[in-house]
Amino acid sequence: MNLDALKQTISNLSSLSKSQFEKATNQSALDDLYRSFLGKKGEVNLLLKSLGSIEPEKRKEAGKLLNVLKSNIEADYLKTTSTLTTIANQEKLSRDKIDISLPGFESKKGSIHPVTRTIQDICSFFERMGFDIEAGPEAEIDYYNFEALNVPEDHPAKDMHDTFYLNNSGLLRTHTSPVQIRTMEKSEAPHRIICPGKVYRKDSDLTHTPMFHQIEGLVVEEDASFSQLKGLLNDFLEDFFGEQVELRFRPSYFPFTEPSAEADIRWNKNWLEVLGCGMVHPNVLQGVGVDTNKYSGFAFGLGVERMAMLKYDIPDLRAFFENDIRFLDQF
Amino acid sequence: MQFSKNWLNDFIDIDLSTEDICAQLTMAGLEVDGFENINSKITGKDSIIKLDITPNRGDCFSVLGVARELAVINNLKLRLPEISSVEYSFKDNVQVKVCPEGPSYYGRTLKNLSLDSKTDPLIAERLRLSDQKLIDPVVDITNYILLELGQPLHAFDRDKLKGNISVRTAKNKEKIVLLDDQILELDSSCLVIADDNGAVAFAGIMGGKESAVSTSTKSIFLESAYFKPSAIRGKARRFGFQTDASLRFERGVDYKIQELALERASMLLRKTLGGEFSSVTSSSLKKYFPKHQPIKLDLERSNKILGTNISKKSAIQYLEGLGFSPDASKKEIITAVSPSWRYDINIEADLVEELARLEGYDSLPLKSLVPVYKKAKTDNANHLTQELVSKGFNEIISYSFIGEQDHLLFGQGVKTLEVENPISQNMTIMRTNLLSGLVNTFIYNLNHGQESQKLFEVGNIFNIDNAKKVKEKKVLAGLMSGNVSQSTWKSKPNDISFYDLKGVVQDLLSKAEGSYSYVECDVDFLHPGMSSYIKHKNKVIGLLGSLHPAHIDTLGLKKDVFIFSIELMHLNFDSSNTYRQFSKYPSTSRDLAFIVDKSVNAGDLERIIKSSAGKSLKEIEIFDVYEGQGIDDDKKSLALSITWQSLKTTLKDSDIDNAVTKIVNSVKNELDGELRV
Repeated sequence: MNLDALKQTISNLSSLSKSQFEKATNQSALDDLYRSFLGKKGEVNLLLKSLGSIEPEKRKEAGKLLNVLKSNIEADYLKTTSTLTTIANQEKLSRDKIDISLPGFESKKGSIHPVTRTIQDICSFFERMGFDIEAGPEAEIDYYNFEALNVPEDHPAKDMHDTFYLNNSGLLRTHTSPVQIRTMEKSEAPHRIICPGKVYRKDSDLTHTPMFHQIEGLVVEEDASFSQLKGLLNDFLEDFFGEQVELRFRPSYFPFTEPSAEADIRWNKNWLEVLGCGMVHPNVLQGVGVDTNKYSGFAFGLGVERMAMLKYDIPDLRAFFENDIRFLDQF
Repeated sequence: MQFSKNWLNDFIDIDLSTEDICAQLTMAGLEVDGFENINSKITGKDSIIKLDITPNRGDCFSVLGVARELAVINNLKLRLPEISSVEYSFKDNVQVKVCPEGPSYYGRTLKNLSLDSKTDPLIAERLRLSDQKLIDPVVDITNYILLELGQPLHAFDRDKLKGNISVRTAKNKEKIVLLDDQILELDSSCLVIADDNGAVAFAGIMGGKESAVSTSTKSIFLESAYFKPSAIRGKARRFGFQTDASLRFERGVDYKIQELALERASMLLRKTLGGEFSSVTSSSLKKYFPKHQPIKLDLERSNKILGTNISKKSAIQYLEGLGFSPDASKKEIITAVSPSWRYDINIEADLVEELARLEGYDSLPLKSLVPVYKKAKTDNANHLTQELVSKGFNEIISYSFIGEQDHLLFGQGVKTLEVENPISQNMTIMRTNLLSGLVNTFIYNLNHGQESQKLFEVGNIFNIDNAKKVKEKKVLAGLMSGNVSQSTWKSKPNDISFYDLKGVVQDLLSKAEGSYSYVECDVDFLHPGMSSYIKHKNKVIGLLGSLHPAHIDTLGLKKDVFIFSIELMHLNFDSSNTYRQFSKYPSTSRDLAFIVDKSVNAGDLERIIKSSAGKSLKEIEIFDVYEGQGIDDDKKSLALSITWQSLKTTLKDSDIDNAVTKIVNSVKNELDGELRV
């Protein structure tokens, strides 16, 4: 072959490849065409092999021309590929259009019981204040539930607690206060503890269930004062309700605190009792070996269901233990 | 305790609205339950005030007591009601003997009373407003004194008393028939009023039937006595009742008011019933009267505890008003003695409360507590609760006491802790596991249209050992039934299977310290072929499985119900928040399938591979279980992907080949399993 014939062939191949590439309708047909030109046995390779038949002084130029052809075909191929991809994508887009108004596939949500959630809320405030969370048994004995809390046998204060007695001569704790005693027995003052848990009283009507939840708090420190108790509870209620609530303290009676107080909050114009509290009675502290010349203490106890009812606007106490999923799912 | 507001005017000149009076009482610690405005034909505008008196304030179980509080609060003068001694016309020959538990007794005989007279209209109205039934003039007047002065009185039929009267402890098994026909068998801890024939009244609680005033009564013996709180406390309650008298005596009655009360009653009786009155017969053992010791009040310390600045002058004024006769001769120490009507003031802290009460709790300052920063402990239950909620579980809380029937379904042959005085027969046994609560909640919600449910509860379970010692454990238990996921317009989801349940349990334990294994178990209420114990350090810490078909039938259910239960004290999540190194080197995996007997558990195969795969074993994942064509009928194929990775180096192919050879040999030797080619 001479150089001119080669030039002609190159020119033909260049336009042929261009026109054939343009006719390709999909990527695999294009790839086949590409191989027929630039593959191992493709036209361009055949021409490269025939270079030997060209006179030596013109081989260099012929080689150059073939390389130009090669890169031209390569460029055309890439351009066509890009066009085909665009077309394919457009087809995919119009083919894949779906009804986005159909509902998505949701998974069922779980829920934390409002009582647990309220306990977590309350405890988190006190944990930030440096209180440790403590727990104690629900099946208690008279000593921890009454005697160590300054409620002697036959004391009229026992009438305040309708106690469930057990067949092991123990009882179901009527309040979370026994945890105070157990904690002070096993570790030395100072103390800051918060004790959530179930308590039991023999009472069942619209506003009472025989089992409910209480949270007990205790601070025993040098200089623990009634003012701190008031301040702490004020801060706590503000944290719990997320706004300042009007709070009122009035004298009350618990055998294990002196002075004792009941705290009411203003709720829909009325005063509503939310917790009992007071300075820990010296008899209680001395009973567990706390030096009352050095330490004083205050304690408070509140009903969890009551707090949850206020916060979540739940009208009926019994809903807590019915466990209707339509109720639970709201939390 | 409830009373007419106008009654207060007998004792104090108070010119406040009922609202203001109620607010003052509430803030003084006498909680007002409510009040009701009324119109009296006798006294005009009036209100009924209802008080909720705390057990320490026995002195406020009378109009006098309430008026006394109001007098101190408003700085008013308190006057006692009109009392003029009734002239006696004869001497009563009865002798009275008291004892240490009942150290003071006043009595007198009244005869020739006009028993057909009517109770004075004002007295009748006040009793009605105090919710006290009208009975006859004698009883009405004793009730009136009880409400007015807080002193319980008792009237005997004089002619039915034989010989002398004594206050004494009951003899063991001494019987008495009370006014309300109760027959009691007393013991020596009880106090009685006795005549020569025996007990005629359960002292301080209720009179006896035999000596009761009746329509045929001609003359009356009127008793005004003092019994110690300790002698009355718990006595009526032991027999399941309480009376207006016992309520007051057990909280403490003013031990100096008996004579006055008797004279006041006599005066009112004479006014209404006429008659002749005997002289007063009395007996007292003063040395057994309550001893109110002087209490020292350190004003500086009190102010520190209250965060206040109460002056010595105010303190003295408060204490004086309350009847504490304070002695202020020492510089910072005030010495005070309780008045005869207060039983709740024994130590300094009690006096501190009195000061705070009168100062007003609301006016005490507020001071924020300074936080102390410390490391918070991880709470197992909170951690697992979050995990389950994210898996679509609803947390429930059910009662800790269950009925016998529920216990029989799920109880596991342990000795039960039981409630002696249950509120209902369905609440007698302290649950030994959490399953009946979960199952009952499941059924409740199923009946309300919830087919698919995932529930869990965290709570304590109870039993007792042979020595009656309570074992109380905190447990997490869950229940699943229905569909794995929610059904959609595109697909119907599968039913929940054992493996969905096991997956949940595995996830829960994945971040707990240590390793957990699953072994077949034998529990009455679970399907024997679809249940497992959860073991940790060779100890069973929980179980999971499908409810036994027989239980499904008993409960009237149609679909399978899956449950799990884990004892929380064994779990420790503390290390889950610390960094653990992971490998920088590539991992190598090999897929191996073994043909083994159908009876071989995947768990056994895994265990053998684990022990023979070498130190660099990272994980074993079962990706196929196959039975059927190409495999003998009694065999199955288990295909596993085994991955190795070292923290220190890139593993060589030859290391892996050696490990595989070891695995294949062990499986051959221990399970007679063949590598499937």
